[in-house]
Amino acid sequence: MLSILVQRSLHAVLVILVVSVLAFLLTSLVGDPVASILGLQATPEDRAILAERLRLDEPWIVRYLSFLGGAIQGEFGISYAAQRPVGDLLLERIPATMELAFSALILSLAIGIPLGVFAAVYRDSWVSSALMVGSIVGVSLPTFVVGILLIFLFSVHLGWLPSFGRGETVDIGWWSTGLLTWSGLKALIMPALSLAISQVALIARLVRAEMLEVLQTDYVRFARARGLAPRKINLSHALRNTLIPIITVSGIQLGFLVAFAIVAEAVFQWPGLGLLFLQALGSTDLPVIAAFLMLAAFFFSAINIVVDLLYAVADPRLRVKVALGST
Amino acid sequence: MLKHTIMATATAVALAMAAPASAETLRFAGTTPALTMDPHATNDFVTTAIFRQVYDSVVGLSLDMELVPGLATSWEYLGDNTWRFHIREGVTFHDGQPLTAEDVAFSIMRQKDSRFYTSLFGDIAEATAVDDLTVDVVSNNPDPILPRKMSRMFVMSRAWLEANDSLEIPDLGAEGAEGFTVRNANGTGPMTLTEHDPSVRTSFVRNEDYWGDFPGNVDEAVYSPIGSGPTRVAALLSGEVQLIIDLPLQDVERLENTDGFRVEQEPQLLFMQLEMDGTRDVALDTWTNDGEPITDNPFRDVRVRQAIAQAVDADLIVDRVMRGDARVVGIPSVPGFGGYQADLDQPWGYDPDAARALLAEAGYPDGFITQLNCPLERYVNTEEICRAVAGMLDRVGIEVRVNGMVWPEFARMLVNGPASSFHLIGNGTNSFDSQDTFTATMMTRDPDANEGFFNWALYSNETVDLVSRELPVTFDEARREELYRMGMEAARDTISAVLLHQPMITWGMQDTVEAPIRGDATLTLQNVTIGE
Repeated sequence: MLSILVQRSLHAVLVILVVSVLAFLLTSLVGDPVASILGLQATPEDRAILAERLRLDEPWIVRYLSFLGGAIQGEFGISYAAQRPVGDLLLERIPATMELAFSALILSLAIGIPLGVFAAVYRDSWVSSALMVGSIVGVSLPTFVVGILLIFLFSVHLGWLPSFGRGETVDIGWWSTGLLTWSGLKALIMPALSLAISQVALIARLVRAEMLEVLQTDYVRFARARGLAPRKINLSHALRNTLIPIITVSGIQLGFLVAFAIVAEAVFQWPGLGLLFLQALGSTDLPVIAAFLMLAAFFFSAINIVVDLLYAVADPRLRVKVALGST
Repeated sequence: MLKHTIMATATAVALAMAAPASAETLRFAGTTPALTMDPHATNDFVTTAIFRQVYDSVVGLSLDMELVPGLATSWEYLGDNTWRFHIREGVTFHDGQPLTAEDVAFSIMRQKDSRFYTSLFGDIAEATAVDDLTVDVVSNNPDPILPRKMSRMFVMSRAWLEANDSLEIPDLGAEGAEGFTVRNANGTGPMTLTEHDPSVRTSFVRNEDYWGDFPGNVDEAVYSPIGSGPTRVAALLSGEVQLIIDLPLQDVERLENTDGFRVEQEPQLLFMQLEMDGTRDVALDTWTNDGEPITDNPFRDVRVRQAIAQAVDADLIVDRVMRGDARVVGIPSVPGFGGYQADLDQPWGYDPDAARALLAEAGYPDGFITQLNCPLERYVNTEEICRAVAGMLDRVGIEVRVNGMVWPEFARMLVNGPASSFHLIGNGTNSFDSQDTFTATMMTRDPDANEGFFNWALYSNETVDLVSRELPVTFDEARREELYRMGMEAARDTISAVLLHQPMITWGMQDTVEAPIRGDATLTLQNVTIGE
C-alpha cells in the first residue's frame, strides 16, 4: 500500500513539474502584462521601469527557477490586477469552487445512480427508454445554456433563487462556507445543478451498462436460483460490483467538475477559482495564471492518487496484484 | 367644506408618504470588479468610477462634464508655469480630520509619481501648500489645461496614510503583504466605504458631513460585479439589483418593452476609428490583387484614405451593428471634450462611386488586399464592426482580411511596434480635452520626445504638428479656438483616420430609480433618487 503511495506521489511530482514549465511558457504567450497593467497610455520609460520591476527582461529560465523556488515555499508573488498576494487570493477562492464541485458531484451521483439502476432493472419499460433518451439531451446541453435557462426560470420568472453570487458566507478559520446559511444554500442550487446535469446523464448511462453486464453473471443467476429477493440481489449483489468503475469515473469527474466550474462560475458570478482565472486571463495577470495552472495540476494528481488507493480498497484482487508486483 | 379639508389632508398625508423615504439602498451591478480602492494605484475606468464615490477630485465635474469647483473652489494661472488652487474651507475626511492644503499638495505629489498617471501628471514638478487653504502647482512646462486634468487628481489624507504605513503607493511586483489602501479608504466624497471585497461586493453608506450637494436619497449602496451579460440582465429583471451598468445592446429593446424598467443612454467620451498607415514606405500585411506582397503603401495616398472614408458607411454601421445606439462622428472630437467644434462635425458621407474613382486615380483601379487588425473586446461589438467594414470595402475593390485579436495581444502589437498598417481602435483622451487628441494620437510619432505616442498608424501632417506644438503653450482662449479649428480641419482634409461613431453608455434600471449618467460613465450616487 505504501509503495503505491510513494510511486504515485513521485509520478505526481513529475506531472506538476512538467505542467509548471508549460504554464510558465504559456504565460509568455498570452500578451504583454506591462501593456495590460498600464493601459496604452504610458510612456516607453514607464514601461521599461515596470518591465524591469516585474523582472520581465530576464531570460525565462531565470524567472522560471525563481518562480519555482517561490512556489515550493507557497509564494506566488503579487497579483498584477488585484495588487494582493496570489496565495491569499487562491486561498480565498478555493472554498467556493470546492463546495460547488463537491455539491455537483454528490448531486450527480445521488440522481445518476438510482436512475441507472432503474434503467437496468426495468430495461424493457418505456420509462427507461425515455430516461436514456433524456440523458442524451442532458449530455449534449452545454453548462452555460443550462445555467442561463435555470436563471430565467428560477430567478426572473419565479423569483425563488438568486441569479448571481454566493449569498452570505460564514468563516470557519480560513474556509468561508456558504453551506451554513439559508441564502448561501439557495445560491448554491442553480450553479451546482447546471454543473451536475451533464454528469447525471453520464453516471446513469454508465451504471446502467455495468449493471446490465453484472446481472448476466453466474453469481447473480445463482442468487436468483436460491430464491433471494430481487431487491436484495439488485442492490447488494449487483450494484456493489458496478461501483468500481463508478469510483474511477467520479474521480475523473471531480476534476472535470472543477475544470468546468469555470463556465458555471462565469455564468453565476460564483466567486471561485475559475472566475479568478478568467479575470486573470483577461488582464494578463501572469502570477495568478501560473499559480492557478499549478494548483490545477496538483489537484488532478491528488485525485489520481486517491482514486488508485480507493481501487485497492474496493477490489481486494488489486491489493494482491500490487503486493505481488512490488515484491 | 369639511369633506374637502379631510380630502386635502388625506392627499397631503399621501403625498408626504409618497415622498422619497428616508433609508434607501441602491444595489447596482457592473461588468468588472473595482480592482483597488487606492485612487492613485490604477487608471482602470470601472475602478475609477467606483472610488469616485469616496474620493473627491481637486477640480469637480458637473453632470455635463463641465469643470466646477470641487475641493478647490477656484484656481488661477500665476505665470511661470504655476497654477494656484484655493482649497475649500471646512471639508473633513470620513475619519473626521479636516482637509488642509497640505493634504492636497501631498496627494498631488503622490499621484503624479504613480506610473499610471505619468502621461497626465508627469510634467508637474512641485506642489506646495502656500498657506492652510492655498496650493501652488508648478510644472516643468506651461500647461493651460491643468485645471481640466485636475478633475482626475484625487485627494487623500496624509495623516491617515502615514498612520497606516501607506505614504507610498502599493507597488506591483513587490514582495510581501497587501497594501492597506487596497481595501480601505478615507476620502472626502459623498459616500463612505464600508466594505470592499473585490470579488464579491463594494459597499458604501452616505457621508452625512458631505461638503457638496446631495440631491438624491441614497443612504446605502452596494456594487456587485457580474461579468456575464445575460446574468446581469436577469439580476435586474428579478429585482436583485435596481440598476445595471453596461446593458448588452441586444437586450435594450427587450428591457424597454418590459414594464417597470427603462433604459438610459448617454454618448461615451470615446470614438471608434479605423487608423491607416500614414508613413511607412511599404504597408504591412498588404498585398496586390494577385496576392503578391505590395511594394508601396497605398494608405499614404490621401486619395486612398478618402476612398476608404467614403466607402465605409458609418451610418449603416450605427444602424445595424450598433442597433442605433451610437452617434456618427465627423471630426476627431466629441461634445464634452474641450475644443469640440460643432459646426465642423460633418462626416464624409457614404459614396462608393466616388471611392472607386479615387482609387483608380490613385493607381489602384482594381484595389488591393489588406489586413484589418481588430481588437475583440474592450469596445462594443468590434468584431461585427470589422466584418461590416470588410464587406463595405470589398464593394469598392479592397479585399479586407479581418484579423481578430484578444485585447492583450492587440495591445502588445501596438506598444511593442506599433506593427499595424490598418486597425480599428477607440480614441478617447486622458484629460477630456482635444489638445490631448492632437498631441497624443495625431502628432508625428516620436516616443522619445513623448510626441504622438498613441499615433499607432504613424499619421503625419504639418498643420496638425504645428497645432500640437502650439496648443500646450497657449493660454489665450481665442487663439486656442483658432488652433483647435485649424487642426481639426487639417485632420479632416487629410483623413487622419476613418471616423466611425461614438458608442453609447447604456444602463438599465427600474422605473423608480432616477440616475443621471455622466459622460465618463460614472454613476454619481449623490444624484440618485429611488422612488416608491
